[in-house]
Amino acid sequence: MVRAYTQEHVYRHPWSRVTSAAFRKFTHPSTPILLSHITDVHTLSRHLDSNNGVFTTTRSITVKSPTLPFLVRRFLSSPSVVIHCVESTVVHAQNRTMDIVARNVSMRGLIEVEESSRYVPHPENEEEWTMFRQETNIRCKPLSVIAAVAEKVEARCAERFLQNSVRGREIMERICIDLQKDSVVVETGAVDATEALSSSMW
Amino acid sequence: MEMRSKKVPSSPSSAHPCADLRTAYHDCFNRWYTEKFSKGQWDKEECVSEWEKYRSCLAQHLEDKNLSRLLLEAEAAVYLSREDPKRTDSNSL
Repeated sequence: MVRAYTQEHVYRHPWSRVTSAAFRKFTHPSTPILLSHITDVHTLSRHLDSNNGVFTTTRSITVKSPTLPFLVRRFLSSPSVVIHCVESTVVHAQNRTMDIVARNVSMRGLIEVEESSRYVPHPENEEEWTMFRQETNIRCKPLSVIAAVAEKVEARCAERFLQNSVRGREIMERICIDLQKDSVVVETGAVDATEALSSSMW
Repeated sequence: MEMRSKKVPSSPSSAHPCADLRTAYHDCFNRWYTEKFSKGQWDKEECVSEWEKYRSCLAQHLEDKNLSRLLLEAEAAVYLSREDPKRTDSNSL
């Protein structure tokens, strides 16, 4: 069985700011509080195609799973597990598109999660707004665990995904506002942008 | 029923041996992305020396097999892309 979700959100910030925020999302100081399931983030690869303005990067995101149903817990001898996810991002600066595909690389025998996201300038206000669209597919493998339990895991993961995606958007909005403040500061030439950013982070 | 309260190791980002190098790279990258790349200045690759230091630390310290494999694959891909004569490694800040 597969559970599929589509979500859309309009950021009232320009594409350059929103995609900057997307890169900062997991390393922002408020992330550990709001997205407590994320325990580690690393960049594994990066490549710039300087002819076409295409930047590609891969990050690993380590998450703690929700508390698992007891049958699965018993099978794994742990109330929750650490799952590694890999997120590949391709940004076309020229066309202003950012595509992100994230999937789990561990526990694939039990569950497969794939999340595809896209940030593009909003067709109604290309310079000021950004359209975000995300598709999430969650599939639990039957394995030796009985189907009913598998479905519970699936449902719980899905619930958690939806909660986190709302929190993720909250963080994105916050970072956008921080970046907006910084750009105002930079324009007036008062403070270096990075210093303003680090002092606005708590 | 087994109720072992084995805790998932909470590895806060700061505890990782490459945490400082990661911060240095991510700070440099975020600055480059926000101020240049996203605004249309994509001709110069920056933060190359920060990236090289961080990546070599990760190559030594990445414990998870899946992630190490991905790091190696990424290195192989970069090695192949070095054929690209336009790649400008000397632009590190």
